[in-house]
Amino acid sequence: MALPNQQTVDYPSFKLVIVGDGGTGKTTFVKRHLTGEFEKKYEPTIGVEVHPLDFFTNCGKIRFYCWDTAGQEKFGGLRDGYYIHGQCAIIMFDVTARLTYKNVPTWHRDLCRVCENIPIVLCGNKVDVKNRQVKAKQVTFHRKKNLQYYEISAKSNYNFEKPFLYLARKLAGDPNLHFVESPALAPPEVQIDLAAQQQHEAELAAAASQPLPDDDDEAFD
Amino acid sequence: MATTTEPTTLRREEEEDEDSKPSAEDEDTGAQVAPIVKLQEVAVTTGEENEDVLLDLKSKLYRFDKEGNQWKERGVGTVKLLKHKESGKVRLVMRQNKTLKICANHLVLSTMTVQEHQGNDKSCVWHAADFADGELKEETFCIRFASVENCKAFKDKIEEITESQGEDSGENQEATAAANLIEKLSVVGDKPEAKEAPLSSEEKRDDNEKLEKSTN
Repeated sequence: MALPNQQTVDYPSFKLVIVGDGGTGKTTFVKRHLTGEFEKKYEPTIGVEVHPLDFFTNCGKIRFYCWDTAGQEKFGGLRDGYYIHGQCAIIMFDVTARLTYKNVPTWHRDLCRVCENIPIVLCGNKVDVKNRQVKAKQVTFHRKKNLQYYEISAKSNYNFEKPFLYLARKLAGDPNLHFVESPALAPPEVQIDLAAQQQHEAELAAAASQPLPDDDDEAFD
Repeated sequence: MATTTEPTTLRREEEEDEDSKPSAEDEDTGAQVAPIVKLQEVAVTTGEENEDVLLDLKSKLYRFDKEGNQWKERGVGTVKLLKHKESGKVRLVMRQNKTLKICANHLVLSTMTVQEHQGNDKSCVWHAADFADGELKEETFCIRFASVENCKAFKDKIEEITESQGEDSGENQEATAAANLIEKLSVVGDKPEAKEAPLSSEEKRDDNEKLEKSTN
């Protein structure tokens, strides 16, 4: 479901509502999928931000319109408006903050008041952190309410594709749906003039002196 | 309160071991909901079908954010150098793990230079007009490998490609010039000399192939 000012696409698209307490990592998770970056800085979302997110599957391209909502009460309001016509949802909590898990039933209730019978994934984020407050065994809410549960880490990318894969499978009723390589189109030839080349070289030299954001992290392969 | 609810370190480890069993994680506890779309299986094309893989390494890619003057992660996955079977053009394609989305897709031109990054021997930087999103964008990239060896293999390969491409384009021009000459010459009937030019360029190409094989 696109916003009125958002272009529609000629392939299947779904409105995905993402809710949960402030600071649990909803925006970071969406950004991770959009650009690959991991944003450490916390800037509370105000209201809602809608981001189209495409995936390539063996059944063609699909799009989630991710409604990334404000988790903080003071930036809340209008919530039913965000939920309306939601076709699937993610409820996020932070495994390092017990209160965010305690509030999951409230988010679930609010969501289900507006959206009946939609596939919902519960995500316990930040599982990369050593001192967890909510252990996997203590997470039981999904069993009572028939939600799917994934432990994820937006930081390490652990299970980061699973919530979308699960929702896509449910929405299409196809348990074998999977992500496939998107076509890598041939890049067009470009003519580089000398001035541009020199500018690029200067930029490259400046960039080369900046450290990587996560130089100490070796666990990527 | 915290002391009574917190399990001992030992128990915590045991618990986590148990919890991390993949079978439990992939168990579907979701409600039975009716699907809202019917999707048909489609033919999948990677766009890489007519290319040979010159290099294929696990890595982490970053793009430089000029406004913020900082590197930002682009993706973790596999970087490939692909040579087109007909045109001979080489491009760099990197895909994100799991989602298989494209994080970089650009030609390796003779002007491309890979430079060192802060004296770090596992990472290096370069500039390219990138086509990952289907539109050309000027990007400054940094790539990090798990080992010094892999980083060196990447740098060496790029260098080898850019050098041979510089030669190739020169060679092609020479070859075209030679071909034109041949046409003219053949009218005159000077066959031995005409044969020489195309042969030498083929020999060079063989050398390049040998080089590729030896580094693979």
